[in-house]
Amino acid sequence: MKNKWTLWALAAVLAMGFAAAEKVHIMWSGAITGPTSDAGKYYAQGIEDYCSWANDTGYVSGVEFVCETRDDQYNNANTLRNFEEAVDRGDPVFLGYSTGGTLQLKPLVQEVGLPFIPASYHIGNIDPPDNDYIFLPIASYSEQVIAVLEYIAKVSPGAKVAMAIHPSPFGRAPVEDAKKAAKDLGIEIVEVQEMAKGLDYTATLKRFENKGVEYIVYQNVAGPVANMIKDAKRLGLGIKHAGAHYAGGPDLLRLAGDAAEGFLWVTAYYMPHEDNAAARFVKELGAKYGRPADTIESVHYPSGMLAAAIAIEAIKEAKDAGKKISSESVYQALLKMNWPNKLAVGPVTYSKDDHVGVDQLRVLEAKNGTFVPVTEPFSSELFRKVHYGK
Amino acid sequence: MSYFFQLLISGIVVGSVYALAALGFVLIYKASRVINFAHGHFIAIGAFTAYALAVGLGLSVWIAAAFALVFTAVVGYFTERVFLKPLVGQPIISVIMVTIGLASVFGGLIHLTPYGSGNFSLPGFLPEGGVSFAGISVSYPQLLAVVFTAVFLAAFGWFFQRSTVGIAMRAVADDQMASMSLGVSVEKVFALAWAAAGVTAAAAGLIVGAISGLNLEGLVGIGLKVFPVVILGGLDSIPGAVVGGIIIGLLENLAAGYLDAYIPGGGTGDVFPFLVLLLVLWFKPHGLFGTEEIERV
Repeated sequence: MKNKWTLWALAAVLAMGFAAAEKVHIMWSGAITGPTSDAGKYYAQGIEDYCSWANDTGYVSGVEFVCETRDDQYNNANTLRNFEEAVDRGDPVFLGYSTGGTLQLKPLVQEVGLPFIPASYHIGNIDPPDNDYIFLPIASYSEQVIAVLEYIAKVSPGAKVAMAIHPSPFGRAPVEDAKKAAKDLGIEIVEVQEMAKGLDYTATLKRFENKGVEYIVYQNVAGPVANMIKDAKRLGLGIKHAGAHYAGGPDLLRLAGDAAEGFLWVTAYYMPHEDNAAARFVKELGAKYGRPADTIESVHYPSGMLAAAIAIEAIKEAKDAGKKISSESVYQALLKMNWPNKLAVGPVTYSKDDHVGVDQLRVLEAKNGTFVPVTEPFSSELFRKVHYGK
Repeated sequence: MSYFFQLLISGIVVGSVYALAALGFVLIYKASRVINFAHGHFIAIGAFTAYALAVGLGLSVWIAAAFALVFTAVVGYFTERVFLKPLVGQPIISVIMVTIGLASVFGGLIHLTPYGSGNFSLPGFLPEGGVSFAGISVSYPQLLAVVFTAVFLAAFGWFFQRSTVGIAMRAVADDQMASMSLGVSVEKVFALAWAAAGVTAAAAGLIVGAISGLNLEGLVGIGLKVFPVVILGGLDSIPGAVVGGIIIGLLENLAAGYLDAYIPGGGTGDVFPFLVLLLVLWFKPHGLFGTEEIERV
């Protein structure tokens, strides 16, 4: 009988606990279908799983996260509609996706004061004006491309480089900074070519060959990059390939096979095959929530997790400080964040003047069908010099 | 000089893929005067069916491809029976709106499968590398595109010239009422045209998959490339589809090879074919091989 009453009492306490749990909405608007959905699909799954993990482990006491991943089909009008819905509901933070959508929303984000964490690492997102509330999870595309140019300058001094970029603000984002950095590094950017997904890149590649190009640096998504490096292999060109975060990763290896050997790739995330806490955590969550191997191996999966993790950590810090969870308290928590997260190669740190979370990057090289690091985590001083002049 | 010839050969290869994709579009228009805006989705259905069978069931790619051709033909056949047949005799704008709607429906259905987003690669079914001669290189999937296009062109050439059904299709395209009075089943002809278009669309999807991987956006995009091809070649001409496809492929490659260097960012390969298209239409509004229809008023 005594046991029965104990159980009832326990159930009542638990029920009160659940009843008291504050529901906090976090919305992500991105491309689950449409252009770039090859990345967006996994990014969304990363957000969903991190939220589920935070709820299942009671990571933020007294808070139940309601995470919504909305498919905006890479359409800025849909992104705007989703953002307005989040603002109307009083969400404390918003997770974005595309470069175009983020740049378009900048004035509105500034006006409503809702912290915004995009999947786009365009430096223009956090450059003035209207840049107070936007926070990049990792270093910008500009810094990524400059980091790989620094590596190229080290291994091939005076190299001739071509850039092959996505025909969009996302693709064009790092071009100007890369040109300035190349001058400092003594390498030459001989051509910048916009490339959409096509059936054949022979003309572009042969032209690059005629100009003596030694490296092609990609600011693009993995699909077109895979086709271009396969064409380069077919044509027997000696050109080497390198790329920023969205250009490479395990997705590229799967699509390009042997042609990806030697590809240099810059990212702030660990690889799933590495023996460390980050890789184990990603695999553990993927297994727990029934994700297939292609999701767990995709770099976009931990990328989505990190975006959700930053939002949840900021909410936790606001809550721990005894503040009501709101856009303002989350914003203040973000400005003070110095969090040694489980997912990337460096801590997430923000301040009033620094809206880049993880400052460190690594260069990795495709060897025997996997990406292995060829540098320790580092931050590009040259990027700060060419972009900020300091 | 080998640079020019490499661009020429690559242009012909890419053009062959466009031509293969355009054949189905022309077949439907030739038989029923319907402009099929869902053609890109037929290409995607064929490609993903082959992929699903090859990867999911472990079938050889060749067997999976054969099933995919049949399956897409069946989809084409029933699409016509269910959605297009009730519109016989209705204004052309109604039919066009239905095919636009079909594109949305097929797109939505594909999104319900695991293939709606992401990049996929068909298991290797051709040898690695390709053929090289005099500094010019062509991969085996690209060669297969040329062979497929030639085979389908020959097959349809024979079909329309020699077979009873093919002659019936031409008759229906020429004059529906006269054909019906001679005992031709117009409904059957329409349905067969959609089935045949399904076969060529699936073949195009397989080739695109072998060359550049499978991605819904990319496959549907090939369906859109069909429009300049058929407008240039002539909406109702099968040789026109092939010639139009190869011209567009050549212009894309030559423009990318010779003009991109002078334009910041490049991209002339996507624009230049349309400039030539406008020029051709100025002098030949029905395309290079299209039937000129003279209306007496």
